[in-house]
Amino acid sequence: MMARLRHTALALLLLAALAPALSAQEITFTTSVDRTSIAAGEQFQLTLTAANIQGNISAPSLGGLTVLRGPSQSTRIVEMNGRMVSRTTYVWVLTAVSAGKYTIGSCTAKIGNAVIETDPITIDVSAPLTRPSSPQLAEGQRRNTDIFITLEMSRSKGYVGEQVVLSYMLYSRTSSVEPQWEMPKLEGFWAEDVTLSNSGWLDRYETVNGLRYHVAIIKRQLLFPQRSGKLRIPPYSAKCTLDRTFFNRGRVVDITSNAVEYTAIELPPGAPADFNGAVGDLQMTVKADRTNVKANEAIELTVRFNGRSNLKLLDGPSIDFPTDLEVYDPKVSDKINVSETGMSGQREFQYLVIPRYEGVYELEPITFSYFDTRSGTYRTLRSDPLTFDVAVGEGGPTPAAQRPGKSEVELVGTDIRYLRTGSGNLRPKGALLYGSLRWWAGMGAPALAFVLLLVWRRHRQREQADIVGMRRKRADKIAREHLKQAAQALKQNEREPFYAALSKAMHGYLANKLGLGVAEITEQRLRESLTNAPSGDTLAKEIMALIGTCDMARFAPVEDRPRQDLYDQAAELIGRTEQLTRA
Amino acid sequence: MNYALLLPFLLSVLLARPLHALSQAEAEGMFIVAEEAYAQGDHAKALSLFDSVATVYSSASLYYNLGNCHFKLGDVPRAILNYERALRLEPGAEDVQANLDLARLQVVDRINELPGFALGATWGKLRGGNDVDQWARRAIWGSFIFFLFVALGLFMPQRWLRNTALGLAAAAFLTTVASTGFAAWRAAEVRDTSEAIILASKVDALSGPGTTGTVLFVLHRGTKVGVQKEQDGWYEVVLPNGSVGWMPATSLERI
Repeated sequence: MMARLRHTALALLLLAALAPALSAQEITFTTSVDRTSIAAGEQFQLTLTAANIQGNISAPSLGGLTVLRGPSQSTRIVEMNGRMVSRTTYVWVLTAVSAGKYTIGSCTAKIGNAVIETDPITIDVSAPLTRPSSPQLAEGQRRNTDIFITLEMSRSKGYVGEQVVLSYMLYSRTSSVEPQWEMPKLEGFWAEDVTLSNSGWLDRYETVNGLRYHVAIIKRQLLFPQRSGKLRIPPYSAKCTLDRTFFNRGRVVDITSNAVEYTAIELPPGAPADFNGAVGDLQMTVKADRTNVKANEAIELTVRFNGRSNLKLLDGPSIDFPTDLEVYDPKVSDKINVSETGMSGQREFQYLVIPRYEGVYELEPITFSYFDTRSGTYRTLRSDPLTFDVAVGEGGPTPAAQRPGKSEVELVGTDIRYLRTGSGNLRPKGALLYGSLRWWAGMGAPALAFVLLLVWRRHRQREQADIVGMRRKRADKIAREHLKQAAQALKQNEREPFYAALSKAMHGYLANKLGLGVAEITEQRLRESLTNAPSGDTLAKEIMALIGTCDMARFAPVEDRPRQDLYDQAAELIGRTEQLTRA
Repeated sequence: MNYALLLPFLLSVLLARPLHALSQAEAEGMFIVAEEAYAQGDHAKALSLFDSVATVYSSASLYYNLGNCHFKLGDVPRAILNYERALRLEPGAEDVQANLDLARLQVVDRINELPGFALGATWGKLRGGNDVDQWARRAIWGSFIFFLFVALGLFMPQRWLRNTALGLAAAAFLTTVASTGFAAWRAAEVRDTSEAIILASKVDALSGPGTTGTVLFVLHRGTKVGVQKEQDGWYEVVLPNGSVGWMPATSLERI
């Protein structure tokens, strides 16, 4: 290290000697650092500024600090108080390996006979900070002081499906490295290689255990954990040939990296029904190229997802298209950018929708759920509902007969209708009313009732007819009985019973014979009843006369005719009436 | 007491008993239990209960529910059989038709059927709906009204009343005759056994009864065929397209 410093001092002297001779009036000669307290392993800058210095400048003593880079020199000509002044700055990048107090010694410059010195600077170095990004050397990692490789992850834990960057780094003290890599297989991750903008050596140096290494990036991957739990990324190894030149075969070293453990956190419960594993940060746009079409014309429905997620594994949303819309499998087009910051871009699903029949079709809002890693919650994206207005297509409306036939009906989501509740008119098996005894009885009963009605009516009619007939038939007989009583009374010479019996015989006979009430027996009625006979008139007169005589003799003591004579006339009148009515 | 007199009575009771092994109230109770089982997804239990009701009783609802149980248990041909039976009792029943259509989707055989006379629900209701006895009952009412008006027509004192009554009697007579015709038609339809459903998953139709015949065509489960003759446990079936063949009676069941 000291040898190197001496070289530097020499170079400085030389430079100072070559500097153009300028006025020595305005002289600047200072040293400064960008900070005076650092942690071990951190870098700081030491700047020496010299203006209008001619002659030797001695380099500062660094008192145990390590030079990472420098000195880098820059010279500028500036105008100062109307004069041209040359100002030269030297910059060192320094670091300290271990904690302690370090003093940067004075620089001296000779100007003519005078010597100018800068002030010494004290640097406080504290214990090294553990930085996650700094390469940690794990046990079992095979390394070489000249070269080693590491695995570095941008995070040590995250959700399942959340992207994380894995870097394969190479640290080397020599720039002539010919490696042969042996990369492990990753388990539990879906990996996507990052196209590196600057692969190979980086403009970056790191100090590890006091040694300065040039850093190269070999490979970078985006990892998407596919399951939860502790996931181990196995070490990778390489066989490196170092410092091979045309003359030198170089040396071969075997190196192995550290292993990394990553904790993948299970997604919280309560995922929406339509969640299909998308994790990240997404937006959705749904667009139809047109909504007013004719039947059998195509509609292009675009569902686009933008954002940061594992877009290459993104499945489209499940859309419930109305039946009678013919929908083809979506065309997927991607504009995905895989970079060190993650996977982002857009994925587009284009559905070709052909309405086969005219009508208005409502497309339900399309929903898509994803897990938002930033807030740690599920979010559901929801589109506006779309309405397709389908007019009658070319060639008139589509007839129902051309609609999908039996074989094309999808059984998915259909089911038979539910049970009927209630037994609904249970009847003994095979028992039908028609043809049963009950039916015949039902059919026959009114007919039977009708027949019975007729029979009853006729019977009654006959009965009514019979009453008159019977009276007539019996009239003669009853009259004879009354006459017999009269004859008896005549024999015993009883006046009152004789006339009563004779009157009764006449009245009863006429009433029965002619179907009249006793009070109805008048000459007029008798004449009406006997008109069919020519002798009816005289007969009626004689009958009435006889009845009159009887009544007279009955109620008054007048007997103008002998009783035997009256009796004989009564019998004779009855006989004549009998003859008349029979005819 | 003369016990010989009791014997015919006892005999009649004993003979009548098997017909009513299950009283109507018991059957209704089983129906409700079966509905509950079905609602809980126990289709097998529901099926056995409905089946025991069906040994004694029948109704369109019963056959429909039986069809549903069979369908849920994956027995599509029996589901179709029972739906067809339900339609026999209740032509034009919309729910039965829907389920039958759904079940028929799973039938393998597609026979070119002549487009039949589409019987709509209205026509189905008109010709009896869920009431098989409707026309028989109408015939009885018609007969009653006919004789009533004839009697009125004979005994009414006024002439115009007599004529009106006789006119109505004529209308009632026509109604009675028509209703009897419909009743006879419906009864024939319900009792019709000329159609059957294939229950076997695959059955060969042969050129004659007995296994020696030539295979004419092959039918699969759920297909509806007409049955023309029966001989020695073999049925002669006819397809809607007119093809005729013989198959064992065990492979199909009459609707």
